[in-house]
Amino acid sequence: MSFLRVSPWSALKIAVGAVYAFMLTPILITAVVSLNATNRSLFPPQGLSLRWWGEAFSPEWVDPLIFSLKLSAVSAVLSPLMALPLTFALVRYTFPGRQALMALTLGPLLLPALVTGVALLQFFDFMGWRAWIGFPALVAGHVAICLPFAVRTIAISLTTLPPNLELAAASLGASKLRTLMEITLPYIKNGIVAGGVFAFIHSFTDINLSLFLVRPGEQPITVKIMGFLEYGFAPTLAAVSVITLVLPLILVLIVERLTGLGNFIYGGRGNG
Amino acid sequence: MAEFALELQGLEKTYGAARAVDGIDLQVHTGEFLTLLGPSGCGKTTTLGLIAGFFPPTAGEIMLAGKPVAALPPFKRDIGVVFQDYALFPHMTVEQNVAFGLRMRRLPKAEIKTRVEEALSLVKLTGLGERKPLEMSGGQRQRVALARALVIRPTILLLDEPLSNLDLKLREDMRVEIARIQRKLGITTVFVTHDQGEALVMSDRIAVMNAGRIEQVGPPTDIYEHPASRFVAQFIGRMNFYQGRVMDDAGRIELVGGNVISGHDAQELAAGTTVHVAVRPERTRISKDMPAAGEAVMALKGRVSDVLFLGAAREVHVQYQDGRFGCVELPNNGAPVPVAAGDEVWMSADASCCHVLPA
Amino acid sequence: MSKAVSLQDRRPWLIAFLPAVFLFVFFGLPNAMLLSISFLKTEAQQLTGELTLDNYVFLFTEQTYLEALLRTFFVGVSVGILDVVLAFPLAYFLVRTNSRWRGLLIALALAPLLASVVVRTYGWYVILNRFGVANDVMLWLGVIEQRLTLMPSTGAIIIGLAHSLLPYAVLTLMGALGGINPSLEKAAMSLGASRFRCFVEVVLPLALPGLIGGFILSFSVAISAYATPAILGGPATQVMATAIYGFMTQLLDWSIGAAMAVVLIVSSLLLFYLAARAGARTASL
Repeated sequence: MSFLRVSPWSALKIAVGAVYAFMLTPILITAVVSLNATNRSLFPPQGLSLRWWGEAFSPEWVDPLIFSLKLSAVSAVLSPLMALPLTFALVRYTFPGRQALMALTLGPLLLPALVTGVALLQFFDFMGWRAWIGFPALVAGHVAICLPFAVRTIAISLTTLPPNLELAAASLGASKLRTLMEITLPYIKNGIVAGGVFAFIHSFTDINLSLFLVRPGEQPITVKIMGFLEYGFAPTLAAVSVITLVLPLILVLIVERLTGLGNFIYGGRGNG
Repeated sequence: MAEFALELQGLEKTYGAARAVDGIDLQVHTGEFLTLLGPSGCGKTTTLGLIAGFFPPTAGEIMLAGKPVAALPPFKRDIGVVFQDYALFPHMTVEQNVAFGLRMRRLPKAEIKTRVEEALSLVKLTGLGERKPLEMSGGQRQRVALARALVIRPTILLLDEPLSNLDLKLREDMRVEIARIQRKLGITTVFVTHDQGEALVMSDRIAVMNAGRIEQVGPPTDIYEHPASRFVAQFIGRMNFYQGRVMDDAGRIELVGGNVISGHDAQELAAGTTVHVAVRPERTRISKDMPAAGEAVMALKGRVSDVLFLGAAREVHVQYQDGRFGCVELPNNGAPVPVAAGDEVWMSADASCCHVLPA
Repeated sequence: MSKAVSLQDRRPWLIAFLPAVFLFVFFGLPNAMLLSISFLKTEAQQLTGELTLDNYVFLFTEQTYLEALLRTFFVGVSVGILDVVLAFPLAYFLVRTNSRWRGLLIALALAPLLASVVVRTYGWYVILNRFGVANDVMLWLGVIEQRLTLMPSTGAIIIGLAHSLLPYAVLTLMGALGGINPSLEKAAMSLGASRFRCFVEVVLPLALPGLIGGFILSFSVAISAYATPAILGGPATQVMATAIYGFMTQLLDWSIGAAMAVVLIVSSLLLFYLAARAGARTASL
């Protein structure tokens, strides 16, 4: 048996190695290039330098980075907070209009974020709310497109909650509110946290929606990089890219340490 | 003190057209261990849920210690429930699980502590209070669930198939254990199961349920020895069924393909009625020669189709002349089985062991 | 039990009132408005109240935009196929391997999702531009004499998008393959199927919903992607997303921008609908 297995399995391993190489090479090369001494993307790098890293930490880049972090943090808090009652209504009840509410909730997942961005720009303009373009509009848009992720992770938790758990609490004398606070919410805590993490990542990496809702001084790092790329290339960008890559990674590692995030990985979907 | 710890009056629960519980009247005495026994879908778990208050009845009343509770939510009923999947709170330790009901009752901390310790020692889990449910074996979780339900000293303890997730050996141990604890505390208990073995071993009385109704209520021996319906007869233990017809007002019965018997357990059957005659395999004899019949013994001819070795017993399967099958259980007492497959044999049993049931 | 609530129950709406209103105002309403605007005329960069189908006619007749439309679908299909083909062996390996590095390997396959598509595409910019790594390496190896123009090009867009969307396809396929009981393959082989037959007759049919799902997901994200075509493409390789951006922010013709967005929505939803039907069919088999 094991003798027969060797060859197809090894072939598979080689294919898998090639796919990993395809996946990771551009990211590794970006990291290496950020250490270049010259203002060129030479590879292999000619002379090592941290000069571009110094530039990456100038206000020009740090400001949009902090803006992005703020925006993502707000989305990460608001999305699960709004998703929680929404998920309860959708999972626990059958009611007239449930399908409509479901469509409204999952809609941002089906419609391209780019379209929602365009729609929000027109909407804010039409309503005479141009002053909101910038951080407030970005928050509204980001929460709308991050909500479905939080709804999904919370729904997973909520549907895996054994119904007997709440009945057991009731039989032991716990009122509805106490059951919610002491049994239900603690049980779905990881789903809520996972929803927040997904919202953070989705918001932090978004470009398609943000593109249309920025104003000078209020733009996330992705839009800033995008704009800079139109003027060409600089190793600074490589350094900035590495920073924006590492930040969510650190966040995920911390949260994974604190909770079991892995269970929710299968639920993700985003926009490129 | 009320006469009954629990009384169900005309209890009904329907889901659309489906009648899950179809009119149940039942009294449970204080301190009694009563089992609701029946196949899956018979309404026993729904009945338990109604008693616990997990959903409201469509009609009828539930009296708990003499007070009507049908309109009360579960958390105001003072009941203890052990669930099939135990429903232990996974984010709490064993101690916190057991203390939960006491906390809901706002008992002082010191009292909670002593009562939790008492409860854990009652179920022999002393020292494991710091564990999380997921770190425990199935049997231990079962004990935690029991302690959690008992520690609040409920009016009544409800057990919903609590043993069905355990393996055979553990299940047999827990039967004895639960019965021991129940008798020690003298707590009124309603136990739901589909396992007749559990029901027979543990119960003071058994209520056999079928299709949302109670078919028969009585002590285990009554249920086994005097089944009131064909359903009860075949659900509990094993049974050979024969067809017969009542011959006269004296109740003599002619077996189809067999002889005429009298002296069975039926009363007042009109002549001409078709009936089932039921006999336990372990009360049936088998022989190659025709037994000295008479009306005190039923006898039927057939052919041996199989002889099975079961360890403690042997089973002989016989096909009668009308094509039906029956079986005889012979204890493994060291003597060889007197018949072999293919033999023409006689099945016989004392008429006093024959249960006559309406067809 | 918790679902058995009377139809007149207003509780769910009370519970979900705030988020429902939020989604209606900031998602439902704007998109409905977008749909309406796509049927209105823009004159001198101002919306007028005049109803018209001209915006759509314009999109489907003007060669630049018709090309952009077709290029978008070509890119979408290519990316979808490429990703499913690349993701299949990886997902199969990750689902079946007993390696103690499995957790790490899964994390590595999904980690790119943590980076913005801008950042991931930027890596390809570094590689593919005229003075980039690919040219450097090929010159260094002596494969080429002159620097090649690898980008802007449709090919570069496809590679970049396939790269950034690969983790989604891996996730979808892992879900589908993870649901296939390994005993089924053993059973097929015990019944005399070769490894290949077993793969074709057991694994592939069962993985089909995952393959379709992975394709749809990559496709639908690819056709609405802005960053990658903007970075790795140019004026000659416009796709719908870049064209929409142009209409919205430079040409300021919101009507045509909206019409194009509607085309994008419709293609995207149509695809999900077809996928749902295909999924239903495979599930009913």
